[in-house]
Amino acid sequence: MNKLQANICLICVTLLWSTEVIIFACIPDNVVPFATTAITNLIGAALLFLFFFKRIRAEIKAGGKKLLLRILLLSVLNCAYNVMYLYGLKTFDVSTGAFTISMTGVILPVLLFMGKKKVQKKTWFSAGMVFAGILVSYISKIGHINPFGLLMIVGGCVIRAVYIIKLNDYAREHDPVSLSAFISLLVGVYSFIIWLCMQPATFAAIEWNSQIIASLFIYAYFIVALAQTLNIFAQRRASAASSTIIYSLEIVFSLIWGMIMPESMVERVTPDIFMMLGVVFILLGNMSEIIDFSHFKFLKKGREKIG
Amino acid sequence: MAEKKNRSFLRKAAIFTALIAVYLIVAIPFKVMEVIPGFTDIRPVSMLMPVYGIFFGIPGCIAYAIGNLITDIISDSLRWSCIAGFAANFAGPFCYWLFWARLSKQSFTLRNHKNLLKHILLILVDALLVAGMITPFVVLSYPDVDAKLFFVMVLINSTAFPILIGIPLIILLQDELGLKPIYLPRKDKQITRHKT
Repeated sequence: MNKLQANICLICVTLLWSTEVIIFACIPDNVVPFATTAITNLIGAALLFLFFFKRIRAEIKAGGKKLLLRILLLSVLNCAYNVMYLYGLKTFDVSTGAFTISMTGVILPVLLFMGKKKVQKKTWFSAGMVFAGILVSYISKIGHINPFGLLMIVGGCVIRAVYIIKLNDYAREHDPVSLSAFISLLVGVYSFIIWLCMQPATFAAIEWNSQIIASLFIYAYFIVALAQTLNIFAQRRASAASSTIIYSLEIVFSLIWGMIMPESMVERVTPDIFMMLGVVFILLGNMSEIIDFSHFKFLKKGREKIG
Repeated sequence: MAEKKNRSFLRKAAIFTALIAVYLIVAIPFKVMEVIPGFTDIRPVSMLMPVYGIFFGIPGCIAYAIGNLITDIISDSLRWSCIAGFAANFAGPFCYWLFWARLSKQSFTLRNHKNLLKHILLILVDALLVAGMITPFVVLSYPDVDAKLFFVMVLINSTAFPILIGIPLIILLQDELGLKPIYLPRKDKQITRHKT
């Protein structure tokens, strides 16, 4: 996979993640989110173990204790930021919440800089554009922002940034399929424990029907098994900072779903001028990160003349 | 010798069965549930069309068509128009195989802009072919169906999923999981021999 392919894969991952709300809408409200997370992650893990058993076994032999500890760390971070998002997002409307989550793209380069890692100039520019996009989208809603919710989401973004940095490092050392399978397995187990505490009847508490089963399987295939594995493979070739900036595209896809999907499925979004401007800033940030400007001959000529 | 032939046949049969199984695993949940109310025909399984054609050749094309037929049977939508559906679902992946195995001078890869663009164009042409093959027969079988809307739906399904999910899936399968197309055009064979 080269850089171009990695960027394509990351855009696909972001698109798949953005469809999460659509699949969630097909699952009745009486199924608690932790149940969905537990079941889908366990199905996703089972599929990966089934198809790649030999590969995973070989990786466990090669990676040993170090691999297992790293997976444990990644799965704890994954669970932590998801729980913080879950509670933080309850205090926001869908669009503002989605814009705020893009904050990861701003926090991550700062964390890298603090860790004395090199951050490219164009990444700073992209992060600045994403930040400007978030701020612009807040203009019309500044009075309605709940400080607790904001704190939870920003805290979630910091943890997610750490998760992405670690994942990016580990993906280069370990087999992405094994990482994906174990992360899914452990996230499934943690979510099951929380689900058990919240709803001791667990599986028996769900009123099973074909719609719920189909939704859970679709979620498990596309969002857990495919998107997560594709993401880890792409992380091998892309930097943590550029990956996070591409993830911020989720807001663009979410807004599209909010405009075209029926109201019964997703909260209808009527974008105002500030939201549209926010999206434009985020798109510009993404374009400057994704496009390799060194390919454009006229820019090279310009540079030569300046030089 | 006979044992070798037997083993090879069994391997091919196993791959063929696995291909049909994968098709059904992806397709059936979308047949069972109504993802968007009033808009039942969402077919992410179309993302497999180029994968089956390019990586598994003609057996892949047959598996894709049979998978579609079984899905129609399971979802109780078996009509005369399914014959056209079967033909179109064979022709869809076959076009990818035909282009990359016979017409293209290069071997298949999505590692550069040029090939990516070629592949996207091929998806568009293929979608037009599939929609053009199915629509008249569906309209004949179901006179109430809006032909234009149906044509557009097939077109969207056959372009959006192979581009948005199919391309990353191919990149994952070929570049990272090491899946190689079963067919190998003559020119590629010679090049490979020279290199080795």
